Parts: sequence; C-alpha cells; structure tokens
Amino acid sequence: MKLSGLAVARQRESAHRQAPAHNAPPARKPQRSFLVMNMKMSGSDFTPRRRFVLRDSLLAVVARLVLAAACFALLCLTANAADRGVSFVNDVMPVLTKAGCNAGACHAKAGNGQNGFQLSLLGFEPQEDYEQIVKKARGRRVSIASPDHSLILLKASAQIPHGGGRRLDPLSAGYAVLRQWIAEGAPGHIDAEPQLDTFEVQPGKSSVARGGRQQLQAIARYSDGSTRDVTPLALYESNDNAMAEVSEDGLVKIQDIAGNLAVMVRYQGHIAVYSASIPLGAPVETVPPAKNFIDEAVFANLKQLGIPPSPVCDDATFLRRVTLDIAGRLPTPEEATSFLADTASDKRDKVIDTLLSGPDYADYFANKWTAVLKNRRDEVSDMAGNFAFHAWVRDSLLANKPYDQFVRELLAATGNILGNPPVAWYGRVTEPNRQLEDVAQLFLGVRMQCAQCHHHPFERWSQDDYYSLAAFFTRVGHKPEKRGGASRAEQMIYHKRGVATATNIKTGQALKPAALGNPMGDIAPDEDPRLRLAAWMSSKDNPFFAKALVNRYWKHFFQRGLVEPEDDIRDTNPPSNPALLAALERHFIAGGFDLKSLVRDITRSNAYQLSETPNEHNLVDVQNYSRHYPRRLPAEVLLDAIDRLTGTQTDFANLPAGTHAIALPDNSYNRSTPFLKVFGRPEGESVCECERVQSSSLAQSLHLLNASDIKGKLASSGGRAERLAKSAQPVEEKIAELYMAAFARAPRAEEVKTAGEYLAEPRTGSDGKPLDAQRAARENFQDLIWALINTKEFLFNH
Amino acid sequence: MHLDRTRLPLPVALLCAALCASTALGQAVGLPAPRLLTTMPMGGKVGSQVEIAITGESLDGVDELVFSDPRLTAAPKLDAAGKPEANKYVVTIAADCPANLYEARLMTRLGFSSSRVFSVGALDEVVRGKPNTSLATAMELTMNSICNAFTSARSIDYYQFEGRKGQRVAIECAAKGIDSKLTPVLVLGDAEARDLVVERQGGVLDFTLPQDGKYSIKIYDLTFTGGPTHFYRLALREVAPGAPVVPQPSTVAVNSFSWPPAGLPEKAATAENEPNNDGSRAQKISLPCDIAGSFFPAADVDEFEFTAKQGEVWWVELASERLGRPTDAAIVVQHVEGTGDAEKLTDVAEFSDIPSPVKCSSINYAYDGPPYNAGSSDILGKLEIKRDGVHRLRLTDLFGGTRSDPANVYRLVIRQATPDFALVAWALHMELRNGDRNALSKPMALRGGATMALEVAAVRRDGFDGPIELSMGDLPEGVTACGLTIPAGQSHGVMLVTARADAPRGRRSVQFTGTAQIGGAAVSHPVRLASMAWPVRDHWSESPSPRLLADVPVSVSGFEAAPFTITAAPGAVLEATVGQKLTVPLAHIRRSELSGSIMTLKTFGAGFEGVPRFEVSLAADSSQAVLDLAALKTPPGDYVISFYGGAVAKYRSNTEAAGGAGASQPADIVDIVVSEPIAIRVKPAEKK
Repeated sequence: MKLSGLAVARQRESAHRQAPAHNAPPARKPQRSFLVMNMKMSGSDFTPRRRFVLRDSLLAVVARLVLAAACFALLCLTANAADRGVSFVNDVMPVLTKAGCNAGACHAKAGNGQNGFQLSLLGFEPQEDYEQIVKKARGRRVSIASPDHSLILLKASAQIPHGGGRRLDPLSAGYAVLRQWIAEGAPGHIDAEPQLDTFEVQPGKSSVARGGRQQLQAIARYSDGSTRDVTPLALYESNDNAMAEVSEDGLVKIQDIAGNLAVMVRYQGHIAVYSASIPLGAPVETVPPAKNFIDEAVFANLKQLGIPPSPVCDDATFLRRVTLDIAGRLPTPEEATSFLADTASDKRDKVIDTLLSGPDYADYFANKWTAVLKNRRDEVSDMAGNFAFHAWVRDSLLANKPYDQFVRELLAATGNILGNPPVAWYGRVTEPNRQLEDVAQLFLGVRMQCAQCHHHPFERWSQDDYYSLAAFFTRVGHKPEKRGGASRAEQMIYHKRGVATATNIKTGQALKPAALGNPMGDIAPDEDPRLRLAAWMSSKDNPFFAKALVNRYWKHFFQRGLVEPEDDIRDTNPPSNPALLAALERHFIAGGFDLKSLVRDITRSNAYQLSETPNEHNLVDVQNYSRHYPRRLPAEVLLDAIDRLTGTQTDFANLPAGTHAIALPDNSYNRSTPFLKVFGRPEGESVCECERVQSSSLAQSLHLLNASDIKGKLASSGGRAERLAKSAQPVEEKIAELYMAAFARAPRAEEVKTAGEYLAEPRTGSDGKPLDAQRAARENFQDLIWALINTKEFLFNH
Repeated sequence: MHLDRTRLPLPVALLCAALCASTALGQAVGLPAPRLLTTMPMGGKVGSQVEIAITGESLDGVDELVFSDPRLTAAPKLDAAGKPEANKYVVTIAADCPANLYEARLMTRLGFSSSRVFSVGALDEVVRGKPNTSLATAMELTMNSICNAFTSARSIDYYQFEGRKGQRVAIECAAKGIDSKLTPVLVLGDAEARDLVVERQGGVLDFTLPQDGKYSIKIYDLTFTGGPTHFYRLALREVAPGAPVVPQPSTVAVNSFSWPPAGLPEKAATAENEPNNDGSRAQKISLPCDIAGSFFPAADVDEFEFTAKQGEVWWVELASERLGRPTDAAIVVQHVEGTGDAEKLTDVAEFSDIPSPVKCSSINYAYDGPPYNAGSSDILGKLEIKRDGVHRLRLTDLFGGTRSDPANVYRLVIRQATPDFALVAWALHMELRNGDRNALSKPMALRGGATMALEVAAVRRDGFDGPIELSMGDLPEGVTACGLTIPAGQSHGVMLVTARADAPRGRRSVQFTGTAQIGGAAVSHPVRLASMAWPVRDHWSESPSPRLLADVPVSVSGFEAAPFTITAAPGAVLEATVGQKLTVPLAHIRRSELSGSIMTLKTFGAGFEGVPRFEVSLAADSSQAVLDLAALKTPPGDYVISFYGGAVAKYRSNTEAAGGAGASQPADIVDIVVSEPIAIRVKPAEKK
C-alpha cells in the first residue's frame, strides 16, 4: 500500500490543531509551505522549487506594485486624517491593532497587559484604551507639547527599550498618524466619531490558479456615508497556510494544493471572508457513479476543481475499512471469507446494515462520545457513575436514539446518576461557564471560550452572547448542595425554581437566556431553561446543531472534517465543500436526527469507498476527498486488532475476560494498560476530539517492536502462533488465515512464497543449537505475526 | 476522647486520624451481632416446600429460622441419617400465603439475626446449578418461571429460552428490591447473545419477540462486581398483549413510613385529566381534593385551578417518591387575576421536599447524624389563602425534564387541617472512633444487662405539635422498654429497650407505638422500624441500603451479657427543686475487661440534651452525673433520662471465655453503651 500522502495529512492535522491565534501579533514572515517539504519527501517528480523561482521573479514586480499601492492608500488615510483631524477610534486604534499592540500576547494580555499598560483585545473597548493611553500612568504616555517624546511613540518605535521590539517605523504612515493625533491634543470624541457600519473584502470570492496571487482590498463604510480603503490596516489570516499565505498588505499567495481556501480579514471588530477556489485543473473524465447525494456533492466539487478521484476500492479494502470505522474492529477471517465470496451486488450495503445493528457499533461510538463527554475517573467512587454513564451512551447508540433526544437527555438531565445516568455530565462539568463552553463546542461546533472575557476576536460572539448562553445553566440545583463524602453517583441534579440570569462580568448586567443571539423570550421560573435550549438546538432551522454533528461524523469516516477543526465552525472558517455540508445537514434533519442513517449514507457512498491509492493528480489533495485518506488505527482499535490477530485477550481490571478495549467505560484503564496511553487514548479531560493523539511517535514504534505486552501476546499459550504451529493444516492455509485475519484479504503469491520460506527456516536457540521443529515453527509464526502487525497495512485504516 | 470534627481544619483532623491509626486499626466497631446475609433461593412458590441454604455473620447456635408471617415455616434440612445439615432449611409456604415479601430471621445464640427478604410468588422457581458464565454454558429457562442465582465478579450470567415471533415477554431481574447488592444489567439478546435491548434501572424488560427461535438473556452487575451477596431473581414471563406487567414485589424506602395519611382511601377520588399543562387548560378542581396522576410525558406540567377565599388554610400533601418513584415533586400555588393577556399571577406558596425531621449524616469525615434520612422529595405543607379568587396549582417533577415514564405516578391531597403524625425508628448510630462511618445493620438481639437505644423520628402533619409518647408492648420476658417522649414541637425521641441481666432467652415481634393527644382524643400509630440491609463498615466505600422492616422483632440472647452496664445507683432519691443541681449517682457493672480508663457520656431526654458531656472512670464501680437544672431551665415535672457513650470492650464471646473451641485473644471492640432509663423529678420551688 502507498501511504506517501500520510506525511502531508499529519502535518496538516498538526497545523489544524493550532487554532487561529487571536492572541498573537500578525505573522510577519510567511512560513515555508508544508506541502513543498512533503512533496519533496514523497519523491514526486513535481518540482515546486523551480516553479517558485519563476513565479517569484515574475510576480516580484506585482508585489512591489501592490506594496506601493498599499503605502499610497495609507498615505491617503493619513492625508484624510489630516484633513478632518485624526480620530482616535477610526485612525489611531487601527494603527495600534495592525502593529499588534493590542494583541493578547502584548498589551491586551489578560491581567495587567504589559508593565501596567493594558489595552483591550484588538481594540474592542476604545474608551478604555483611550483612558489607558491618555490618562493613565500620569499621562506620560502622550506628550502633547512634544509629540515625538510621547512614551507610546518612543516605545513603539523602539527608540527606548521596548519588550515588544519595534512595532512602528518612525518613518511609517502609522507613526505619522499617531504623532499627528497627539499633536492635535490627543482628542477622544469617541461617541462623536462616525461609526464603522460595514466592512467587506473585495473580491469576496474568486478562483485562483495554483501558484497564483490575489490582492485583497478591505473596504470600511461608516455611519456618515464615507468609505475608506483600509487594506493596509486590516488583519489577514489564511485558514490553511499550506494552501495560501497572506501578506500584511492583503496579498494572497496561493500555493500548490488544490481546493477551497478562506482568508479571514479583520478590521476594528468587523470580519469579512475571502474565499478562493483553487482548481487543480486536471481532466476529470470519469468519476464513480453517484450512489447518493454525498457522491453528487463530492464528485461535483472534484469536477469543478479538476481533481480526478481514485477508483472505488476493492472488496477486501472496503470490508476492512468499514468494519474498522463502524464497529472499531477488524473483520473476522470468517466474515472476510464470506464477504469476498459473496457475489451479490448489494453486499456492501448489507454489511453496513449488519455492522450498524451490532453491539460493536454501539461500543465503538460510545467510546468516542464518552471521551469528549469527559467520563473520567478521578476517584474510586466514580466507578459506578462512570459505568452507568458509559452504559447510557452505549445503550442510546444501540437503540439508535435520535441524536436530538440524546442531547436533550444529557443537556437537561435531572435526578441521580444511577437513575438517570446523563446526570453524570453535570458531576464532571460543574460550572455554568464550563457547561456552556462544552455544550457550544461539542454540540454546536462553536468555541465560546474567548467571549467570556472579551468580544470573540474572529467571531461575532460578544460577552453578552457568552453570558446569555451561560444563563441557561444557572438554575441547575444540586442535592445535597455540599458534596461532602458522597460519591458523584449519589449527587442529584434538579431544576431550581427561579428566573434564570447570568451576569456579564464586564457590564454587571444580568442577562436572560439567549442561544447564540437567539432570544428565548420570558422563561417562567418554573420552567427549566435547559429544555428551551435543547428545543432550540434541535429545531429544524438551527444553523449549528445538525451541522456540527454531521461534520464530526464526516471526519470520523474521512479523517478530515468538512470544517476543520471539526468543532470550530464559523463564518471565517468555511467548509471545504459547502454544498456537501449543507446536504448532509439537510438529510440528517429530515431523517429525524438518525445517527445510523447518517452513517449508512456516508458509508454507502462511493466517495467513502474510494481507494486510498492516489492517481497521478490527486496525491496532493487533502481536503476534497478525491481518495481515501489513510489514518493510524486509534489506540483501542489497534489493541483489539492485535489481540484478535494474536488470538489473545488484554486483561482489564474489574472487567470480564474478553472485554474489548473499545468497550472500556472510562479513562482509568490508560494507567494500567500502557499501550493505550502510548497510542494516544484520551483521558477525557477535553471536549475536543483532538485530545486523542493520532500522530505517530517513536514511543509507538518502540512499543510495537519491544514492549513486553506485545511479546507476551505473540508468545501466548493458546494464542494464534501456537495454534498454527501445532496445526496440521497446509502452510499455505495458515498463511491465508493470517492475512485474512490481519488484512481481510488473501495473501498474494509473492507474500505466500516469502512467508512460506520464512516459516520453513530452521531456528537455533541462544546456545546456538537447533530448536526442535515444533518450537521453531511456533517462533517462526510469532515472527510472522509480529511482522504483519508492524506493517502499515495493519496499523492503518486505509 | 471525642474530637469535634467540625471544628478541626482538615490537616489537623488528618494528623489526629494518623496518630490514632494504631488504635483504630486494632479496634473493631460494634460488638458481634447475628446477621442473616443470604438465602439461596431467595423465595419460593405459594403452596410449595423450598430447600434453602443460608449464610451470615455471628450465626453460632442457630436454633430456628423464622419469618415475619406464620404462613411461612421452616425446619432444618435433615441428611440421610436424619441429622440436620448445617445452614440448610426446608421452608414450607402455605397455600394461603399471599404473594409478597417477608422477613426471614435466624434465632441464634446471640438472639435474632438481622433479616433478609424472602419472596413468595406464583411462578415456578429454580435455582441455578452449574456456572453459566458463557453462551456455551447458558442455562435454559422455561417460560413463566423464576431463576434464583447470583452474579460472579467479572462475569456475565447467560440464559437462553425459546421464543415465538410476536410473543410478548416480560423479563425482570429483582435485586435491589430484595436486599441484593447487585445493580443489575439485564440484556435480551439474539441466539448469539448479540444485544437487542438493555434494562439497567431494575425495571421490567417488556419486549415482543421479532421471530421464532432462541433468545439469550445476560445478567451482570453494573461494575461487574459479584459474589453470593449479589443475588437476584430472574423472572421470565409471557404477557398477553395489552395486559399490564406487574413487577415483582420490592422492599420500601425508609421515607415511605410517612405515607399514607390515616384514613386515606386506597383509590383517589379524582384522576388527573390531561391536557392540563398550562393555565389555559388547567384542570378545574374544588377543595378539598384527592387526585391521582402521573408525571408523564417528559417535562410534564400539571395545572389545577380552584377557587378559595382569603383566610382559608389548607394542607397540601403529595406522595410520589414515597410510592417508590424516582421523582422530586414541586408545587407552586398562584393567585390568578384577570384573564387572557391581562392575566396576572401572584405566587402564594411554593412547596418542595419534606425535610428530614432529624439531621442526617452528611457523609463527611465521620458521623454528624444518623445514616438514615426520614425526609422525602415529596411535599407536605401549609397553604394559606391571602386573597379571594381563582388560584392555580402548578405541579412538576424536578427530576422529570427528560424522562418519560408513565409509572412515575403521584397522589395529591389537599385537605383541611387534620393534625396527625407518623413515626419511624432505627438503632442508634454514633461516632465511635476517629473516622467512624459504619452503617451497620443492628438487630435487636439484646445481651443480658444491655440497653439498646432506638432513635425515633416524627413527621408531623397539618400543624400537629403536641408531645408524642412512645411505648413498646408484648416484649419478651425480662425486657422492658422506656420511651423518652418526643416533646411538643420537636421531631426526635428515643426508645430504650433494656434486657435484665438475667433475662431468659426469648424472642417476640413487638408492638411499637407512638401516642398523642389530638383534638382531645388519644391517637396512636405504629412506629415503623428501619434497618440497614447490610453491615456497611464504611459508607464512603459502600453506600448503605436502609429500608423499612415488616415488623419489630426483639430478642434476648440468654447466653451472653453486656460487657458494661450503667444504671442509677440503687435506692438513690432522684429529686431536686427547680433551679438546683441534681446529682445522679451511677453504678457501673463490668462483665468484661475494658480498654481505656474513662468514658465520655452524653445525655438523652427531652430538655437534657444540653447537659455538658462528662467523663466517668471505667475502672470505678460508680460515678455521678450532675444536672444543673438552672442552666438547663428545667421546669418542674417528672422526666426520664439516660446517659450514653462509647466504650471499648476486650471482647471474648461467652463460649470462648468458657474455654470452648475457638477461644482466642480478646478483641478490642468499641460499641455504644447506654444507661438504663433513669427517672428524675424536678419539684417546684417552695413558696416562701
């Protein structure tokens, strides 16, 4: 199998886990593309370096022209400011923001800014910033009599020591704006200034060839009817630096990856998005037939981008893939043999239905959900509650409880854990703020954390939105009120009568419940506001709820969400295939939030069933699903797979023999089973699936090569190696069984030959003497199984 | 020594605990008490004979197995040679014995054991024989039968049965309701044991089979614990379509002692009439009323509308949790003014929870109250009408936002004041050593010379605040009982049950009664007795399972005597004039070596709980208590008091002490010591 695209995928995954850094100054030096590095690593004959040289020389002139235009625009701004007097809010603040002064890592740092100079994040609170600059520190930050000796200018231009370095060139237009404002007496007049009404970027979208450039123009429109080109002052951020980088002046430099790209443009609390379609431009003569709406959307996108998809995978690959994805296990040799021999045209659909009706599906997806629902064991007494909660999730999935009902039961849970297990979540996530944050991120795909302390820097969520959402959780009562020595399982949750409000810590205002800007009206003191929230979430026109789920599940099957990260859905982070996401969302809602139906739709599609083997064009594609993206088996699945292949069972404390790792109820087994920790099983500390470590590491390689538990499984008495060594079957059949168990396929002729020769080799003991035939055979089988375990074909779902 | 844990910072408490560890580790809590822990099987069919095997603690000298109903009798099982087999009995269930739960007890050398539930039903019963912890060894079940078994640790029990397509089956695993430690998970699967449906709440799995063939049933504990204490009764029944499924009988929670109020008809006069979920559709009622309804479906709101006049006083009582449902009812009564958009609602009263009449343990470092909660999430409160007009009563289940179970029923009664009371009692628990969190089952098995204290808690209804006298009748020979009155307006009393030092061996099911004067007439109610189902040594690591008993058994060992007895010195005149100090001379009777030199005593008795703790010498034969009647502000009258504390005996059973087999080193065991009741008189001051 070929896994050369994996490095690209891993790098990109790593890049994606780094959420857009709202607290960092704008990037000044674009980083070298991951893609370029990986293309070289993959041995492709593509020569990006040479192309860059040509392109750079050709576009250097354009870039200089753009820079000149930007400077001209800034000078115009300066000139405009000179004409009408410099506005603190409309002229000074944008300069400070562009210079990064009010970034979270600089003077907007929570607490006290830097050295007592505290600015609001990205200038969201201009009045407070004015006070800081003009009045605080005994007014020495500005010197109206001698503007050039103002501390703010001396520091920003690094004429005196400044921890943040030089942020403004004394010769720059920004410096001139600040200086002029000070010279004019540092006026405030914030309320009297024209308000920034709308902000847009031009063009809003375009199609740009790989390696191409797109200059963006940022336009601000004010309440007095004026319009300003604020291109040099706006902040730009690409949602995928491997696809495109953006200069400080708004020049988008497209790299070599085809697909859809978004650039977030921010200016004074307003946000606009530029979307680029980057076609590969290869001929797409045929695509697999569309089996459902998913195929239609995926293949239409590929045609538009000119990315020819790989063909549909073979039966063995499909069976192994779909069994791993739905049931979290390898197909048994019997299942594989039966499936491969089946000639029915609908056998793939049938196996999907069989897998979905089985308990392994419930176990595997319960494992997924309980981690992000923080079912972790901190105390021995947590055990009963954790088991009950895990069982509730698992039973819900087994019964195919509609997703909206599942969430409602969790969100508005009352009673005690053993009587109503979703109550356990309130034992884990105890504060209203954490509750709203988890609910928003997990079920709505919205990250609200930033808005607790300030307006969300790249979203529309304000602190009022944050605390209005928190208000839903303010009537959650606990019995007993003080936990004492009572275990979590004995805690009870109830709706505490009263009017739900939460106080905005900034304004002190008591806010009624509102769901991401949607007011709920008056909620009577007797009504549990959480039920209102649950009803709003599951309403058919909710723009977040179904979208977040289908995107999460899409990622489960395709390794990459249509929106990445999967729980950060926002206008400024658009999906790679909006039509597909919308269609999935629509079908999921219309189907009554049926999770099994969603899985069925996804796995029945030819898009899901594409081969992972790239064609000459689509190796670089990592976001349009033109081929299947392989990924390492999750820790639990891999451990179970090794157990099945070696014919052994991992022993888990207090659980019956034969319990699979995917059925473990909480994180406590990570401590007793190092394998799970090494391979990244999450501890249930985070609501983010990114807590699961899917990347590879040296420790993992060493574990598979050296760890005693692996050796023990290989050499286990009664294990597969011993059984095969003792069996009188022909060696070819034994090899076939191993390949069927490991890969769900028959071995190829060369594999049979190689394995057969190895199995026939004599062995010697540590004393150099030949081992008896039986022992030699057993050790040879151990070696062969060990070798199979260490293949990428085994370690990866492909 | 007694440390007030509430006043110690945690580090100091931990240090103290560490310093005392050596003592604590070598010191058990609670003198041996006989406890019947398991029977196998746990029940039988009406009109049959059942062979049962028992296990327990301190069961030396068992001479009979008795039940709380005479229609159940037992005889030792005899072997082929006609000799009794150890721990085996043959139980005869009379044909007229109703299907229900009964208490089974053993009469041991120490007296009555704690009880274990014994079920009587109409279905055939079997006992699992061979291990059935795999599908290959699954036990075959016949339809309409009950299997008695227990789970094993880290195991799953497998059963199989033949079913028909369209056949409705009810599968139920009785466990918690029959005293088991098992939290059962009941899974119905296909022939290969692949899960079809799961029941984890102890309820009935009501399922219509999709096809002919074999089906599997899996049973295991939620956390895969097991052993003989994790017993269960698996019932497999065929049920006709549309017919109700009646669950197996279950024990009742402690707080259900206060339901129903006296004279309440078995069936409510009115049924809740849905839809009544909002004011516009409120069900019209008139007061008084008696309504049966249910919190169904999820987030159900039931509104009732009535007219009342200013100054009217009504009492509102609701039972749901006390009916065994996992609910938390809440009521808001509002005055309604205007109609339609102009409607204005004004809160009149809000009701939620019946507080425990006695502060129960908050499960902290050690006891700060009894491990019994006599309160409830039900409702009992006073409704005073402030204005004439229409009123609405809004009823919700605070636990019912997402649960849709029509079995979550309630009974709502609104009545004019009918003053009354209900009583429950349990054996006294107290902190006996640092970090003591025992929640032991304590059978009333009295050693000669022992006094056992029962705490009595009262739920008062409809404004009744008079004193309640406690009495116990039909006691075994040599046993006396003295109830310390529950004073007016209070909710806590004590019953002292004392066995004479030479009391003969005996047992009785006694009458335990509370009596009060209400409306000029004496009103009596039985006192329900509560007990722990298991001897829990540390209720941090194991949740206690208290429940009500079906009867009040009292027994005397006749073999073993209390290690230490405190009585009033014989012949002492215990009188004093109001405002003076009364010295109570105490006599100490030691029948065992004691550990330590002193014992701290507190005082029982209405108005005397404030007597400062005082120490007595364990080595001395006498001591005295001084009651400062001025400080206590004790009015003239006759009183009964008692002193109590904890003492460590170097315990050796009488058998061992006599050098019998198994004699061993004496064990340090701390237990509660309660003095015999002491009557005192406070005389009025002499007129000058």
